[in-house]
Amino acid sequence: MAAQQSQGIQTLLEAEKEAAKVVQQARAYRVQKLKDARSEAEKEIAEYKAQKETEFQTFSSERSGSTQTSQSAVDQDTEVKLAQVTSSYTQRKNDVVKKLLERAVLVEPTLHPNFKAKTQ
Amino acid sequence: MARPMNDDEVANEMNKMVTFIKQEALEKAREIRVKADEEFAIEKAKLVKQETSAIDAQYDKKRKQAEVALKIAQSTQTNKSRLKLLQAREGHLQDLFGAARTELVKLPQDKERYAELLEGLVLQGLLTLMEPRATVLSREADLQLVQSAATRAAEKYASLTGHAAPEISVEATLDKDSAGGVKLVGAANRITIDNSLDERMRLLEDRMLPEIRTDLFGANENRRFNN
Repeated sequence: MAAQQSQGIQTLLEAEKEAAKVVQQARAYRVQKLKDARSEAEKEIAEYKAQKETEFQTFSSERSGSTQTSQSAVDQDTEVKLAQVTSSYTQRKNDVVKKLLERAVLVEPTLHPNFKAKTQ
Repeated sequence: MARPMNDDEVANEMNKMVTFIKQEALEKAREIRVKADEEFAIEKAKLVKQETSAIDAQYDKKRKQAEVALKIAQSTQTNKSRLKLLQAREGHLQDLFGAARTELVKLPQDKERYAELLEGLVLQGLLTLMEPRATVLSREADLQLVQSAATRAAEKYASLTGHAAPEISVEATLDKDSAGGVKLVGAANRITIDNSLDERMRLLEDRMLPEIRTDLFGANENRRFNN
């Protein structure tokens, strides 16, 4: 009779042990899952960053290309203007020199506007 | 009165209890797992969102910096171009003045016109001085010309103003390198009038700049007020 009783209790104890194991496994699963959350998040983040980086690279290489073209366009424009200025100058230079000389010898001696002739 | 259970009933009860324990454990385990999955998802989403926002902000900033740098580069380009242009024009202007000055020294070669010019210059000086006495400075080479020009000028002065003709002494102390013309000194060496050709040319170079600019390079299209 006692033997039976202790056997019954044994069975129950074993059942409890098994039960505890099952719960323990579940808890371990939870812990693992939290770690996984971190590592998986990191992976996704790294992917995102890499993608953004390539986007940015394409963007900036496009940009630098446009800077080059605008620089050469500006330079060309400048050259054209410089040539214009020089040709304009060579055309009109002599006339202006003449004008300067004419004015240099242009003397118009006039009385001072406030001059009052002496009444004698 | 309940009789004691027999073996079968005992075994049955045992099984029921064992099953119950197992069931409870499984339920609990399942709850834990489900919750774990939920928390996993939430935590992961939170981390990802945090970091991706930071990354987005980073790249936005980079982009803005690139745009600013671009604008700066463009502005520098335009500025350089404008400066180049202005330098070219300034160079041409200096060339022009150089040419004018070379021509200037040739003026005294036309004796008649030069004599007339000298007379006018002296007269202009006298009318500005309005003094009874004046000294006229000329180049050594022009001494005689200036002397006769000064006499004529003094007479004209008298007729224009009604004053007596001023006493004029001519000194040949003007610079040898000067292109010509005269200087007048009056009021006991306190007033000097520089009517030399060099000085006149210099004044013209300065005062005629707007006119020269328009003549040489055309009017300024960017100018808004012209009065």
